[in-house]
Amino acid sequence: MAITSWKLPAALAVAAVLCGALPAQAQAPIRVGASLSLTGTYGKIGSYQKEGYELCAEDLNKKGGLLGRKIEFVVYDDQSTPATGVRLYEKLITEDKVDAVMGPYSSPITEAVANVTEKYKKVMVSPLAATTSIFKKGRKYIFMVISPAEVYLEGLVDMAAKRGLKTLAIVNEDTLFTKSAAIGTAELAKKLGMRVVLQEAYPKGHTDFAALLTKIKAVNPDVIAAATYFDDAVAITRQMKELNVNPKMFGVTVGGDLPEFYDLLKQNAEYVYGATQWEGALPYPGQREFLEGYKRKFNREPVYHSASGYAGCLIYAEGVKRAGTLEADKVREQLLKLETKTAFGDFKVDPDGFQIAHKMVILQWQDGKKVTVWPDEVARGKARFPTPPWNQR
Amino acid sequence: MRRAGLTGLAAALLLGLLLYPLEGSGYGVRLMLQLFMWIALAQSWNLISGLTGYVSFGHVAFYGTGAYATGIVITKLHWPWLAAALMGGLVAAVLALVIGWPCLRLKGPYFAIAMLGLNEVLRVAASYFEGLTGGGLGLSLPTLHASVPIYYAMGLTAAGVTLLAYVILTSRFGLRLMTIREDEVAAEAMGIDTFRYKLYAFLLSAVGPGVVGGLSARDQGYIEPISVFPLLMTITMIVMALFGGKGTIWGPVLGAVLLFAFQEVVWARFIYLHQLLFGAIIVAVVLVMPRGILGVLQQKYNLPRTI
Repeated sequence: MAITSWKLPAALAVAAVLCGALPAQAQAPIRVGASLSLTGTYGKIGSYQKEGYELCAEDLNKKGGLLGRKIEFVVYDDQSTPATGVRLYEKLITEDKVDAVMGPYSSPITEAVANVTEKYKKVMVSPLAATTSIFKKGRKYIFMVISPAEVYLEGLVDMAAKRGLKTLAIVNEDTLFTKSAAIGTAELAKKLGMRVVLQEAYPKGHTDFAALLTKIKAVNPDVIAAATYFDDAVAITRQMKELNVNPKMFGVTVGGDLPEFYDLLKQNAEYVYGATQWEGALPYPGQREFLEGYKRKFNREPVYHSASGYAGCLIYAEGVKRAGTLEADKVREQLLKLETKTAFGDFKVDPDGFQIAHKMVILQWQDGKKVTVWPDEVARGKARFPTPPWNQR
Repeated sequence: MRRAGLTGLAAALLLGLLLYPLEGSGYGVRLMLQLFMWIALAQSWNLISGLTGYVSFGHVAFYGTGAYATGIVITKLHWPWLAAALMGGLVAAVLALVIGWPCLRLKGPYFAIAMLGLNEVLRVAASYFEGLTGGGLGLSLPTLHASVPIYYAMGLTAAGVTLLAYVILTSRFGLRLMTIREDEVAAEAMGIDTFRYKLYAFLLSAVGPGVVGGLSARDQGYIEPISVFPLLMTITMIVMALFGGKGTIWGPVLGAVLLFAFQEVVWARFIYLHQLLFGAIIVAVVLVMPRGILGVLQQKYNLPRTI
């Protein structure tokens, strides 16, 4: 019995070696490597990103590929851990000898694998790493696509200041992204002349916000900005009602943009502001093609992680097209100069590869629908302001 | 004659590992580096849990502590990485002393639970003391573009911990630990100061993960609470030790090599299936050969209990 348990791994090992040894095609495709979180904490979102990559490759191939070659993704699962991601990028580059790489999901994993891609001088467009510090360490070949965490709630603060609101309370989950978002929000608020009357973090996995909300109620701020993920965003909203906390505006970073947010909270989600990198309804070029293609291929609506992955891949392809080669230094030069608009919105980076053009979107739940209310040039409706007290909704 | 053959084989293997970075690809080096890490972790867990029967469900706490200690002295005090990682091992040992003093008086499952709790406490603490740890923002270490020095350091750590296992298992100290495992009350009746020996074993078992955590932190260049205190890491080291054979010298090494190789071969090809297979292996090991591969071999060929 003990011996037979060895046959399976051995057979798998042989099969695996055979798979790897298949002869290469005559007209070799461009192989783009990436490790994504397909299992583990970020499993779901990583899969969305993967779909974005796949759709992009399909679209490009339909139009004749890149530099006359087809594009093909080689994707591994990093199990949502940085250590595995590091190893897999090393594998992609030195063992699989891929022609190019694209970024993984999440800031921690990107921060770790960037050490590998820099070592081998590989351009890495990272569609889903939002942490500023990753791009401000003097790295040469990494490019950012989404807006950094720091500006997630810029729209909320901007709208509040324009409506003459004065005080702001900020709460955040104590992890990299949410904390950066809170710090950025505080700075923007101060710049616009608002006063931060409370700023507090809660640990990941926190579910009882009663103490925190009681404190906030005591200082009675005009605005509550919460740097959250989905679960805490729902819990905070629910408990605000229970404790009758009534700010004039309340917005969250992540969670408020998901349909599930309304499904869970029903009318309690009304008036809540959500931040998002992207919405399907935005008037960006290539948006229709993307939405239709996605629907056809995966049979559902895309989320922003798919859109960003899709756009990131297009942006890299554009850099290669302009450079006329896959050579990293030349592609890098083109990407630094590139100013473009994709289905995901604007792209332009500073000399560090840090994103400076992409705009966040603020939406508000109105009668069960998400309505984009900021920035003005893409807004589809007016913000309902101020938020009435809970007993009048 | 057989002995000479074995020695020759071991020497050739050692030489191969020493020279490997000269020839191997970056991926190969990193793969071996992580294998060394798992050997050191599984072996360290073996030192306390395999030998005394006190199962630690939170051994990754020492890994995380070492990672943070290293990260902090590198970023704040600019220590060289090797000294920093050794310091990580020392800090982990001090933590083991602090936690072992009360907890090793607990018997049965209580120690296991306490260790699980310790890991959770440390993870939250790492978020909380942000002046020191960067909190949820994590610690970003200066970029290092060479994994070869880490390869050697990690290899030495794995070898060191295994040597330690050999020394302990072939000494009176090891014998006393195993007596505790078989029957603690009887051991006490025989005049063995069980608490003292358990504590020694616990301290020694913490050093390896501390150093390994430090080296990994240096290698990855970025640490955050969630990624250095993962419960899954403890589970993996336990499974590796069990698979090879706990309470032996070579069991944890064998288990780490085999399971690591298995994961490596399977996961790249069968993304979702591999976790299923890994789980199935755990169940199979526990059911079919609870004493691991070496346990089975010992019984079959009448080998010494330690090897």
